[in-house]
Amino acid sequence: MNQFISSILIGFSQGSIYALMALALVLVFRSTRVVNFAQAGQAMVSTYIGWEVINRTGSYWLAIPIAALGGAILAVIVQNFLMRPLSKRTSEGAIAPVANIIVTLGLLGVLHSGAAIIWGSEEKLLTSPVSTNGFKIGENVYPFSATDVLIIITSVIVMLIFAFIFKKTNLGLALRAAAFQPEISRLAGIRVDRVQTIGWAFSGAAGAVAGVLIAPGSYLNPYSLDILLVFGFVAAVIGGLDSLVGAAVGGIVLGLTLSFTSQYVGTALTFVVPFVVLLVVLLLRPNGLLGGRSSRNA
Amino acid sequence: MMRLNRSKKAITLTALAASVALVATMVPAQASTDKVGVTSKTIKLGISQPTTGPASAGYNKVAPAMNSYFKYVNDNGGINGRKIELIIKNDGYVVQRAVNESAALVDEGVFALVGSLGTANNTAVAEFLDLKSTGLPSLFVNTGFSGFSVKKDYPTMFSLFPSYYMEAKIFSEYIKKNFPGKKVGVIYQADDFGVDALAGLAQGGITLTEKIAYASLSQGTPSVGQSWITKLKTANVEVVIFYGVPSAVAAALRTAAALAYKPQWIVTSVGSDYTTLTGLGVTNAMLDGVVTGSFLPAPTDDADPYVKLFKTIHTKYGTGAFDSNILTGMNTAMMTANAIKAAGPNLTRSGLIRAIETKGRTFASASLTPPTYSTTSHAGYAGFWLAQINSSGVMVPESGKYKVYTTDAGKGAVKVSTYKRPAMPAKGLPK
Amino acid sequence: MHNHHRRRLIGFAIVGILLFLLSNRVGVLRLYQGSTVSMYVIAIGSIVLLTGFSGQISLGNGAFMALGAYIAVLLQTYLSLPLVLTFFVAVLGAAFFGLILGVAAARLSGPYLAGTTLALAVALPSLVNQFPVLGGEQGLMFNAGSAPEWLGEVSRFKWLFWISTLAAIIACIGIQNILKSRYGRTWKAVRSNSTAAELSGISSARSKVLAFVISAGIAGLAGVVLALTAGTVAPGAFPLSLSFAIITGAVIAGISSLLPGSVVGAVVLVGMSQLVGTFTSRFQMGDILAENLKELIVSALLILAVVFTPNGPGEKIRAMREHRKHHSHGGVR
Repeated sequence: MNQFISSILIGFSQGSIYALMALALVLVFRSTRVVNFAQAGQAMVSTYIGWEVINRTGSYWLAIPIAALGGAILAVIVQNFLMRPLSKRTSEGAIAPVANIIVTLGLLGVLHSGAAIIWGSEEKLLTSPVSTNGFKIGENVYPFSATDVLIIITSVIVMLIFAFIFKKTNLGLALRAAAFQPEISRLAGIRVDRVQTIGWAFSGAAGAVAGVLIAPGSYLNPYSLDILLVFGFVAAVIGGLDSLVGAAVGGIVLGLTLSFTSQYVGTALTFVVPFVVLLVVLLLRPNGLLGGRSSRNA
Repeated sequence: MMRLNRSKKAITLTALAASVALVATMVPAQASTDKVGVTSKTIKLGISQPTTGPASAGYNKVAPAMNSYFKYVNDNGGINGRKIELIIKNDGYVVQRAVNESAALVDEGVFALVGSLGTANNTAVAEFLDLKSTGLPSLFVNTGFSGFSVKKDYPTMFSLFPSYYMEAKIFSEYIKKNFPGKKVGVIYQADDFGVDALAGLAQGGITLTEKIAYASLSQGTPSVGQSWITKLKTANVEVVIFYGVPSAVAAALRTAAALAYKPQWIVTSVGSDYTTLTGLGVTNAMLDGVVTGSFLPAPTDDADPYVKLFKTIHTKYGTGAFDSNILTGMNTAMMTANAIKAAGPNLTRSGLIRAIETKGRTFASASLTPPTYSTTSHAGYAGFWLAQINSSGVMVPESGKYKVYTTDAGKGAVKVSTYKRPAMPAKGLPK
Repeated sequence: MHNHHRRRLIGFAIVGILLFLLSNRVGVLRLYQGSTVSMYVIAIGSIVLLTGFSGQISLGNGAFMALGAYIAVLLQTYLSLPLVLTFFVAVLGAAFFGLILGVAAARLSGPYLAGTTLALAVALPSLVNQFPVLGGEQGLMFNAGSAPEWLGEVSRFKWLFWISTLAAIIACIGIQNILKSRYGRTWKAVRSNSTAAELSGISSARSKVLAFVISAGIAGLAGVVLALTAGTVAPGAFPLSLSFAIITGAVIAGISSLLPGSVVGAVVLVGMSQLVGTFTSRFQMGDILAENLKELIVSALLILAVVFTPNGPGEKIRAMREHRKHHSHGGVR
């Protein structure tokens, strides 16, 4: 019983981080039809920014918004100076269908090595601002601490902010319109370029928060968030890749799957599980658990 | 007609080229390689290891520490008038790069490889560079894999460290004596590391209540540590043996503290370096009481003449805090210097190998356990002493002073060693 | 046509002989680098076929290389098959796994395929550790034996260089023939306009799966060569960075250029680390800078290549020439 409850608790707290990463990938995919493989690298650089903030001010609370801001700025730079010119230059030839995937991979390499040059490749530690000791109920100590509560609350706040923007503001309307009908939106007077950039900025911020939240439970080095990219991608696909709600659900589903397999099957399968989940989803529910209508050949 | 002509021409051309090629292969056999890398003034040595990258933490201090010791020897006149030059190559702990860098060392004309790191890396290097027939020595490789001590397979290689298998046998003995009847569990990296350890524990007669394997590098995923600890707790395991690298050990200790789980931890020597662990967020309170092993004296043992000397050398030639990685590097360098000295003034590769085989057992080094080199075996140190880490992070030897256990790579018993380490030669220079 | 074919073969023969001559004149480092170039040429070839022609992308060809290598080492260890047969079966085996994934992935394109193959590349090494027969992290020894006696005394590394080079040459001939065949044309048709291709009776799904399978097989061959030169097969030899490196190599000289593209890409990959290494040690740069500068330059090169010469320098030059021709025409008129 203890083991079962533990699995659920771990699944939710880890899953909400995967959900944020999935959200980051979905935001970019919706606005520009690009799966940004450099997202892990951008999140990593943003987390280093957070680490610097903690080092200088001692405040983790300050680190979250500053890292998010840093992540947003980085994403805007990437979108404006790399991805947009790229799409104009690579519309022809064999490279056309794969150009943006390849370039985001290259960017991931640049961010990896750049971060290693600046911060070194030794592991850095981000200490959680609240206790990491598990809550005690009766005799049992559960693997669920104040830090996990912080993770879940922060993720939920970020998601609520996005939900509010998308549902209740004109900006949100423009974001949704530009995502699904860019040509018509342009005719309707929406500045699609700018809206796309805002989508990237949101995505950069979400990835940054995911990085700052996951780091206290593990370590930070230039490569440590790469696995989060795979987890985030799988979560995003579970949710259908262009649904924000789907990303959140996908993250939790993946978090639970991983915690249950680690508890009941074994941790030796940690990297195998996401691949299996991905294949199963793609074969059985190719449009995600929530089932959108668009095809996988986007 | 024209087509015929052209193909005829091609055939002639091909035949011509082929015959040239055949002649070219018949270059005279190369001169003897036995003295490559040695002049009357210098000896060139090489090492391939990870200076950077995810696997480099801690390990990247070893080669610079070796270099510090060599510089110290050089400043004291070198060995038989020759100064040692160590070329350090970075392979990032990737197999192909280890081969590439070692090939580069051969091209740069090194006399021997020394202290190269990693089991798979060393296997690949031995194969591609064909150490067997080229006679290039690869001394004191930095791995606990016992295969390199088999002379038949690797006639020019020498192991140095006692194997994980031996360590696990010694741990078994310790558990049977100190924790009889308690439930024992093990967490291990799911590779030869863990396989060796499981075999040793089985040979030692330990019944394991819980066996947890984990994928290497998965320890960075936060939920992984939590599932280890929940499992162990659920099974009421009281003694936990850990076979993994420091980052995984840190994940386990930190999670255990968070979940108020307090078993007796027994951690492999390669996973228990104090500076590495504390750098990964492990506090002294978490380490208090952890049992581990070592074949070298504790890096904090200032009463030990070798440690004292190595610290002085490190202060002069090295950087950063003195720790067990630096101690290991200096010790490997000292063994190398011993071997070169023992090979005599007329230094050759074959002479170097013979010197270790015949005199290696008597080399003075910091190790508290005896080297076991012979003309039939290239196995290095054969044992460990056990320690408990105290609340200030110091390794306190079991029963107050170093009590060394020795054993073999087979079914032999674990014995308390009577080995008396040779006194440190004057100034710690090979004699 | 026949003439073309023969001339190409003669070209390959001459290159082979030149390399053979060269192999007797260089040191062990150059021989290893040469073997690595051969390995990369084959691996890049698998990407050129898949991406440059069929328009699909795989971030997991490193995983297929691992599959080929493991199949080969198991055959060698347990059945002691002759080397040629080992190569052959390993390629078929990798292609078979390619078929399984290819069928599953047939409906996927672009980012989905990329993500799935990425997850595969991450999963495979830890999967290897699940089966003790595969030797865990330490891997399995791969002994290719020594050169036959009638060749005289040939050092191991020279022998391995010859095998790798021969494998690369044969692979190039094979890939080139496939690309010039009906299949190559079909892939191109599907890539540039799958609807039109479907209308003219081509099954675009089947054509994509076929490309995926062949690409996996070729990657498997590259894996065998890698294992051969490393003398061992271990999961650590197939990191994610290997999959990324071969994509980089394929893009640098034009994603649809097998020759000379893949050779140029391979030489850049191998030569760059040597070049940067020399540069950083000349200027006494720190280890961390030296190490990461390599990755930084290669990654930056990848981005710059896609941005400035999206379909390779060859295409670029052709386009510029065309442009100039049009221009001068205009002037005359």
